[in-house]
Amino acid sequence: MRRKKPQSFNSTPIKERLIIPRQEMPEQDPLQRSTNFLEVNLGLTPEQAVIEAQRCIECASPTCMDGCPVSIKIPDFIQLICKEDFIGAADKIKEDNSLPAVCGRVCPQETQCEQVCVVGKRFEPVAIGRLERFVADYAMTHGNGSAKSTDKPKPSGQKVAVVGSGPAGLAVASDLIKEGHEITVFEALHEFGGVLVYGIPEFRLPKAILSEEVANLEAKGVKFVKNFIVGRTMTIQELMLDEGYDAVFLGLGAGLPRFMNIPGENLNGVYSANEFLTRSNLMRAYEFPEWDTPLYRAKHAIIVGGGNTAMDAVRTAKRLGADEASIVYRRSEEEMPARNEEIHHAKEEGVEFMNLVNPIEFIGDEQGNVISAKCLRMELGEPDDSGRRRPVPMPESEFTMDVDMVVIAVGNGSNPLISQTTPEIETNKWGNIVADDDGRTSMDGVFAGGDIVSGGATVILAMGAGRKSAAAMNEYLKTKVGSQA
Amino acid sequence: MSLKEQIKTMNMDEIMEMCIDQEQQAIDLYTMARDQAKDDGARQKFQELIDMETVHKVSLRKFELESYLELPPADLKVTDYLVEPILSDKLTTQEILIIAAKREGKTALMYQDLADHFASDKNLNTFFQMMADEELRHKHDLETEYENEFLQEG
Repeated sequence: MRRKKPQSFNSTPIKERLIIPRQEMPEQDPLQRSTNFLEVNLGLTPEQAVIEAQRCIECASPTCMDGCPVSIKIPDFIQLICKEDFIGAADKIKEDNSLPAVCGRVCPQETQCEQVCVVGKRFEPVAIGRLERFVADYAMTHGNGSAKSTDKPKPSGQKVAVVGSGPAGLAVASDLIKEGHEITVFEALHEFGGVLVYGIPEFRLPKAILSEEVANLEAKGVKFVKNFIVGRTMTIQELMLDEGYDAVFLGLGAGLPRFMNIPGENLNGVYSANEFLTRSNLMRAYEFPEWDTPLYRAKHAIIVGGGNTAMDAVRTAKRLGADEASIVYRRSEEEMPARNEEIHHAKEEGVEFMNLVNPIEFIGDEQGNVISAKCLRMELGEPDDSGRRRPVPMPESEFTMDVDMVVIAVGNGSNPLISQTTPEIETNKWGNIVADDDGRTSMDGVFAGGDIVSGGATVILAMGAGRKSAAAMNEYLKTKVGSQA
Repeated sequence: MSLKEQIKTMNMDEIMEMCIDQEQQAIDLYTMARDQAKDDGARQKFQELIDMETVHKVSLRKFELESYLELPPADLKVTDYLVEPILSDKLTTQEILIIAAKREGKTALMYQDLADHFASDKNLNTFFQMMADEELRHKHDLETEYENEFLQEG
């Protein structure tokens, strides 16, 4: 069915819209921000947001929505910004995305909605992500509009357990509470948000934003339980049989850090990115001494990897006071999976990039503290399946450099707790839960989505998987009622 | 005594027996690991390796070359510098891949030594060169899988 075009509130002729420059988002000065944990990007002003929205040419067949994993009605919310109805724009986004302030900050829009924006074919694409962030923030600071509505649907009498309060779990909770089900979100840690809170630093995603999003869900009736490890505190079977949950969603994420398996990885001063970032973000080492979490201030910290996690870690190390903080990456910058914006910000903040370098051993002193890294220089060979050129070691290229902190950011795997305690749930050889496109697992009534199924991916992909599962769970619950009637 | 020197003292039957024994050792090792593995994924991975080594053994018995005519890909050396995990029933898929890739690399060296030893015998030289290439190809496949899954750098 053809989608109805939204009402236009933009009187600027198309040709004139195309010459409006893309609005730059104000940000903290690099020198200043590299010593604090305040948010780097400061957000568009209302005037800038309206100008940016006016760049949208209202395509007859907009492609931007196809690029969004949760199919936000992008043309509609942009027109509401043109009308200066910012609360209305936020509500429009929330029809499809329960975490717009989060996604507006951490989504890789340049490879999603903005990549397929028609304006972007000849000019810079409409800054959809910046607009999403602007209206979400505006709604938050202006009472959140109708998102604060406490109108509750008729109770269905059915209970759903959501395991994990990361993006997939929050998306499921948000969709299913609207259907009248009783939703409880179980979180293993002492704060809600999953990777959004333990993985992403304050300077990229302030915790207050996430707390507000969680509070919104609580206001709608979602119950949140912290310090509850499903698989230890209670198993899935116990939740369903003893506690009466009719369905369970597993959104546990990929929280098991991977190491390189090279000699010296067990030395003091060698961290996984998970541990390093969790200590800083969740355990608030960045607020030392107000928060009493120790985290070493390095003379030379190297972060091994080239993804967003590596960028978060290296920028955190720099802010924590490292004299030098370097990225050590096996490939060249062109192959880096991190967002361009994060690489750009890291460079501005003084991070050194050692590309085409791979550590092969960490060396320690007599006390077991890391003091140097033995590395090889690499060169790029043939492209791999992802199209990235594969790095191969250069002969006789070994060298050693002094380091006193190493953070390994080469990826994460699935926590094996659920597969160990619930053998009924099929997992693949990598330990990820096997689920169909709608999130159904091999156990009746149990659904799964996000990184625990796909392996490490983006926030919005996890939310997309959560939304699909939520729809399938709702159908499952209706059928269950029907069969019991 | 190095393998190269050992080969000089062996007749053809002993050499073939050594090669088949090498493949059988790998099959036994992976079968034991599969049966002991507590994780579904690890069991699947070990079964794949058993199937692969069984094909090698059959090739040696039949002295067949037909299936091995592709040139070997570049040696990625992804696992060359990694610590070899100790075999146990709690191995992860990552550790299994390291063990297997290192083993394929060592077996490739054995076949390369044999190919060099039979440099003047075209048939034998070609056969062992092909076997060496086949082992290198498997090392490449295992290291590619390792790289794709465990070096995402995300």
